[in-house]
Amino acid sequence: MFDLRDIGVLYRRELRCALRERTIIVNSIVLQIVLYPALLWLIYSGISFVQGQTEGFTSRVALAGLPEEHRFLREELEKDERLALTSSSDPESDLRAGSLDLLAEFEPAPGAPAEAGNFKVRLAYDESRDRSRLALERMTEIVARYRDRFVLQAGERLGLEARQLQPIRVAMRNTASGRQMGEFILGRMLPVFLIIMLAVGCMYPAIDSTAGEREKSTWETTMTFAVPRANIVAAKYLYVSTMAACAGILNLAAMLLTVKSVLAPILGEQVGRLTFAIPLAAVPLIVLMDILLAMFVAAGMMLLASFARNFREGQSMVSPFYVAVFLPVIFLQAPGMELTPVTAALPVVNVALIFRDAISGVYRWPLIGLALAVEAASVALLILLAAAVLRHEDFVIGSCGGSLGRFLKQRIIGAGARREKAA
Amino acid sequence: MNEPVVVQGLTKYFYDESRGEVRAVQEVDFACRAGEIFGLLGANGAGKTTTLRMLATILAPTAGTASLLGHDVVREPEEARRHLGFYSSSTALYPRLTARETIEFFARINRYPAAQIAQRVGELIERFGIASYADVRVDRLSTGMKQKVSIARTVAHDPPVLIFDEPTVGLDVLNALELQERIREFRAQGKTIVFSTHIMSEAEKLCDRIAIIHGGRILACDTLDGLRRATGMRYLEDIFVCCVKGRE
Repeated sequence: MFDLRDIGVLYRRELRCALRERTIIVNSIVLQIVLYPALLWLIYSGISFVQGQTEGFTSRVALAGLPEEHRFLREELEKDERLALTSSSDPESDLRAGSLDLLAEFEPAPGAPAEAGNFKVRLAYDESRDRSRLALERMTEIVARYRDRFVLQAGERLGLEARQLQPIRVAMRNTASGRQMGEFILGRMLPVFLIIMLAVGCMYPAIDSTAGEREKSTWETTMTFAVPRANIVAAKYLYVSTMAACAGILNLAAMLLTVKSVLAPILGEQVGRLTFAIPLAAVPLIVLMDILLAMFVAAGMMLLASFARNFREGQSMVSPFYVAVFLPVIFLQAPGMELTPVTAALPVVNVALIFRDAISGVYRWPLIGLALAVEAASVALLILLAAAVLRHEDFVIGSCGGSLGRFLKQRIIGAGARREKAA
Repeated sequence: MNEPVVVQGLTKYFYDESRGEVRAVQEVDFACRAGEIFGLLGANGAGKTTTLRMLATILAPTAGTASLLGHDVVREPEEARRHLGFYSSSTALYPRLTARETIEFFARINRYPAAQIAQRVGELIERFGIASYADVRVDRLSTGMKQKVSIARTVAHDPPVLIFDEPTVGLDVLNALELQERIREFRAQGKTIVFSTHIMSEAEKLCDRIAIIHGGRILACDTLDGLRRATGMRYLEDIFVCCVKGRE
């Protein structure tokens, strides 16, 4: 049925045409290599700039009821250039109006205090304002520092040492190496971009090779080739899958090469200590998953777009699938999301999770096997559906109006019901 | 029967949501000889394009048979297409290929001997006067230039049977005349040509035999002289009206 020579000739023609189309070049190649790393760098630089601007704000703080015994706290607050102590007759209203960032209300501490003037402080702030949240952070930090010092001094007066005052100490140490941290960050970022960019790179070729041919009136020309129709479809599918897989790999390479520069604005000096690299052993698996994902996305998009009579219709028919493909990406960021038998059975999600594991050098082979089987089965199912659609000649000649949903309802489900009724 | 094109009882029914069952073509019979231009003359919607699409294996017949050089269009569609060049106003060229690439691609995909493709492409470029824009992308060519490239790609694999479905639609007079001249040349080369049109003068000038098709049925089929004798009319327009009215 399939003739590799014919498929090769058709595939080269599709590819040659595609590489001369500016929109395809931009969407499937340029965007992947240049735009997204550059765009991310701009976004992170912007975030970093905004954070810097926020850091520069002076926090306006009002104090109420600070005990005289703790005047050193007031002095400390006054000395801190990041704070401006103000007085307010109606602090609640000022907080709401944004003219005050924080109100610190001091009350006597409940119970029998060992030291005179012990207090409880209630910090009122506006969570919906960055500036107010920043004031809270600063105030909490200063009060905590003051409290530690105060407790130590009080202990000394009572003849107690620091270790007696704090019998349990918590010390934190990050055991992850720079390489492990790099792998962790890559594992969070790259699968997400792979999926999004692969879908972006696939969309235009998928529409162009189906609805685009109808719009340009070349569909009937293609139908007159002296080759089996299956070869024509196979060549188109191969071409769209190639473009999608290349888009994914190109983006991956570009992100890998630029990740340090992209993250530098938000990680600062810390970025120098991180190593961003994918283990060489993971590359074949990542490429395989990229190809499988490309085949899945290409099959889905081509199937939907082939019902369209022009490019615009194609875009609207493919868009829901496009959204469905990158919807799982949102969940990938959830803590605890990992490859399990359930997630391995979910197309797209499984690819992203295997990819994430592979970056960290983790290979759960039985689950990888399950995921490969699921992806292959999904691709096969879509191809079978495409074959069922192609059996209808009004679809082949492009006179079939509607969408995949309508087609299934009328021709597959409806035909079954009609046969039952006739029987 | 040794005729290169044989059509017997060819029938095509469509189902249309708004119109229900549409009988586009009903029991059409004809045969075309080598070195002959066979015309299908009919008004818009008469069934010409559907008949030719079945002959080109784009559509499958509901009933009846058709064969090209003995290859049944249903059982051996690829073989039938290999011996056929199909040209219509709805078979556009790939805009991003150059004229040369287009001709080469059609020769290759329709299995012209690989070793001779370069020579064949050169010949066609020369013969159709395409040389000055052979390496220009099709989307940058004028309508007349595109038409020449389209004809060249139709015959790129040197098929013995050619179908021209309303080829002059949308062409200016000069381009239409040039196309007619090309079709005559193909006849002189011994090719079998099936030509559909709704333009009486075109059929009158070009066709060796004419089949008048109306409502999906062939009402008359003969040489122009034969049709004149049968109807007693001189002009094809009158002959056509006589046949259609007689049927109604």
